Amino acid sequence: MSDLQQMLGFYEGILRCMLWEQGLLDMHAEGRISGFYHAGRGQEGTQVGAIAALAPEDYLFYAHRGCGYMVARGMPMDVLYSDFLGTSQGSTRGLGAGIVHIAWPALGILGQSGTLGGSFTLAVGAALSGRVLDERKVTLCLFGDGTSNRGTFHEAANAASVWKLPVVWLCENNGWAVSTTFKESCAVGSIAERAAAYGMPGVVVDGQDCVAVHEAARTAIERARDGGGPTLIEAMTCRFRGHYEGDSQEYRDREQLERLRRERDPLDVIASRIRAALPDADRKLSEIRTRVSAEVAAAAQKARAGTAPQKSRVFEYVYA
Amino acid sequence: MARKVTYAQALTEALAEELERDPTVFFMGEDIAFGGVFGLSRGLQQRFGVKRVFNTPISENLIAGAGVGAAITGTRPVVELQFADFVTIAMDEIYNKAAKWRYMHGGQFSVPLVILAPEGAIGGAGPEHSQCPEALFWSAPGLYVLTPSTPADMKGLLKSAIRDPNPVLVMPHKALLNTSGEVPEGEHLVPLGQADVRREGADVTVVAWSAMVPKALEAAKRLAGQIDVEVIDPRGVRPFDFETVLNSVRKTGRLVIAHEAPVVGGPGGEVAAHVAEKALMHLEAPIRRVGAADVPIPQSALLEGAVIPQIDDIVAAIRSTTRAAAANA
Repeated sequence: MSDLQQMLGFYEGILRCMLWEQGLLDMHAEGRISGFYHAGRGQEGTQVGAIAALAPEDYLFYAHRGCGYMVARGMPMDVLYSDFLGTSQGSTRGLGAGIVHIAWPALGILGQSGTLGGSFTLAVGAALSGRVLDERKVTLCLFGDGTSNRGTFHEAANAASVWKLPVVWLCENNGWAVSTTFKESCAVGSIAERAAAYGMPGVVVDGQDCVAVHEAARTAIERARDGGGPTLIEAMTCRFRGHYEGDSQEYRDREQLERLRRERDPLDVIASRIRAALPDADRKLSEIRTRVSAEVAAAAQKARAGTAPQKSRVFEYVYA
Repeated sequence: MARKVTYAQALTEALAEELERDPTVFFMGEDIAFGGVFGLSRGLQQRFGVKRVFNTPISENLIAGAGVGAAITGTRPVVELQFADFVTIAMDEIYNKAAKWRYMHGGQFSVPLVILAPEGAIGGAGPEHSQCPEALFWSAPGLYVLTPSTPADMKGLLKSAIRDPNPVLVMPHKALLNTSGEVPEGEHLVPLGQADVRREGADVTVVAWSAMVPKALEAAKRLAGQIDVEVIDPRGVRPFDFETVLNSVRKTGRLVIAHEAPVVGGPGGEVAAHVAEKALMHLEAPIRRVGAADVPIPQSALLEGAVIPQIDDIVAAIRSTTRAAAANA
């Protein structure tokens, strides 16, 4: 694939995440979704770039900042909507999932822990399975800078390195753990520095630049697959919306937030790269937007026609 | 044909047979490579290799959590927490991840995980290495919890647990490790959720599990000729064979529940409540619970014995149910 084709793919991927989320926010505004939604706007560059580097058979433990992870991995968008609408057509078959608990095993999307940091140890387990079964699957585990302070990160990162397992740790550092700043909660200047404690490479990358994230993730995934062990990637990114929908964000500097939105939008970053490489870029980008908008609208329409489960649904799938 | 085997040997045999039978089974835990602090995995690493039998760091969250991650991706992990007390360290991984992963994610995964966690008092191990934590898991739908009391059950239940598609917490009792009993030759499986009537009797039902089973049987022996005691071993708390217990209570009209965990907040409360809801009119005396005192377990072996229920306590409880019946008459 040429660089240009790849960049167009990234543009399309970021746009799809954004538009999918916009569709969800519309449903939220209508009061149709239950639970919380933690918007991912601003962080799609990291999610799309990293997930594009996975092979089809690899495993993914996503974080809770939007649903860009699943959209980028190719999960059917109507199924994703259905999980928020709580209909039987969702991946949880009507149980509902507020970002966490969406799963799609066919694409290696293994679900998420509702308690932050609960997925770290499971990621190690998925990689251990591969060792027992002689598979060469890589497990990509995403998490926020706030979550990196859980003790489970220490246990999981240490074990994964001791056993040289094919795990890639990807921290989306947006500087905020709900309302607590990175500086208030981290003793070191960057999450990547912590990699040294586990004998793995620590890489800092511009999380708004999809191409840069993809490059870093590809290198780490190849290394992991070849038996080189884990890598910790820290993608410096920006949270454009509140922690949850309805978060007034009184704790944030408005001007700074506006500047981030203006100057650090991952869609704009990739569009600029494309414009530099392609003379009539805007026509092409507009075509992509038209196509993806239609695709997302169709998914939303399909999901809106979903059906609610019977109350007896609560007794299903407790045991296998 | 049956042979005499210790409870510890039965456990090792179960592990070895399942590792042999199914290449997706693996075993990890703290210090298990040399055989483990209780010698339960001796020889397994030499036999099955370091990929399938290996030590972990002292990282209980990891042990349980990685067990879940491995179980949802095509293997059947057996993971060991060195002491059952450590379930509290790994509670999020056991209570939320192992038990709920399948349910939370719409039934798209099964979690064929076994967490092996030796429980109970053995004389001086202290407040954090002697407990029987099964009561905590009455509120953990999705999980099975087994407490074998004989070598045959140890082997048969563990083998069934490893083959089961659900997460199973298996808590062998440390004080039973050196006890011996008959174990059938060849393949021996014990189905989950089936109580075992260990002694038939007409007057009083004693529901006892784990290390309290031999104590209850001894109590029954002492009372033989005066009170005819039925001893039922539910073999764990999830799944719980209420039917066998209810049938027995409908026959005897008297119920004593004996476990090593404390009476207050202990696992017997749920059993008592269930029997009261379903069979109160069959009861001729109040239900009695025998369990540890409402204090932490002392480090001193002498004082530990004062906290942990003994045979005399079971005898007294059984007698009290017959006296109560006489007083009511």
